[in-house]
Amino acid sequence: MGLLAGYWLYGIIALGAAGLYLASPRGRERSAWAGGIVALAAVALLLVELARRFQPGGPINGYFYSLAAVAILAAGRVVTHPRPVYAALYLVVVVLAVAGLLLLLDAEFLAAALVIIYAGAILVTYVVVIMLAQQPGAPQYDWQAREPAAAVTGSFVLTAAIAGAISNRTWSSPAAVRSLTDSNTLAVGNELLSTYAVALELAGVLLLVAITGAILIALKRPGSEASSASASREDRR
Amino acid sequence: MTEAPQYMVVGAILFGLGLAGFLSRRNLIVMFLCTEVMLQGVLVNLVALGRQTGNYRGQAFAMFLLVIAAVEAALALALVILLFRRKGTLDAEAWRTLRG
Repeated sequence: MGLLAGYWLYGIIALGAAGLYLASPRGRERSAWAGGIVALAAVALLLVELARRFQPGGPINGYFYSLAAVAILAAGRVVTHPRPVYAALYLVVVVLAVAGLLLLLDAEFLAAALVIIYAGAILVTYVVVIMLAQQPGAPQYDWQAREPAAAVTGSFVLTAAIAGAISNRTWSSPAAVRSLTDSNTLAVGNELLSTYAVALELAGVLLLVAITGAILIALKRPGSEASSASASREDRR
Repeated sequence: MTEAPQYMVVGAILFGLGLAGFLSRRNLIVMFLCTEVMLQGVLVNLVALGRQTGNYRGQAFAMFLLVIAAVEAALALALVILLFRRKGTLDAEAWRTLRG
């Protein structure tokens, strides 16, 4: 046990990768239940390992473990669900769980901004675009993943390397936050408007450029659009 | 009080999940949803490290990351709509000829 103690994390991530592969959409009739159960076991073991390695004998924070479990399992479902609308809705669950994790890290403004901007604007945009650009029925490219074994193996290697690098060093306790009496919004606002004022202005310019660019890219041009649309209709017939 | 490494491992796992989805799915919109999952992992990582250091730099960085995520989502979806109009399908394999 002493010799293997450092390698439990890799084994747990490997188990999660196996669950992800089993849950990948690999055919019209395959359901994701087997992969889901394996992934659930992997997440449970992961939380136990995290508690054992980083908080030996200390207080257990139930909020962190439940939010982390929800975030990881919902993200797994985003990645493996054969229907895009459900993937977007599971991503809303991931965003809400990550907002909860940010609340635990004393980042209240960021948690609220995440829910408003991400779940409230970006994901709604995704759902609307999925509605606009969909093909009737269940097209093959939704329920057939492209080389899931290679993708899962590659991501397992990366995740294991990052998690190993994180856990194989001694971490000091968190430094005391500068001013605990200020509200978080006040402090972050202070930081953004004083230290990062130039970056803030540039972010505004970037948003303007993106709005203009998005409109121009998706604009329907009368002449060329009609010919290419009719050409694609003839190809499909 | 939970420490930074636990959050960072969760962030790394979210990133890996998004990466696996991005590489294996064929629907263009779902591929971009997987990049959003990757961005969530990065957000958790940034704020955890910011908390560890005790200043607000991590959270400021995360705010700018939100801006970039919104910009990327808008432009990516505009491009996806354009590609869908060209070929009539959301399949990434329809653009296979780009591989040469």
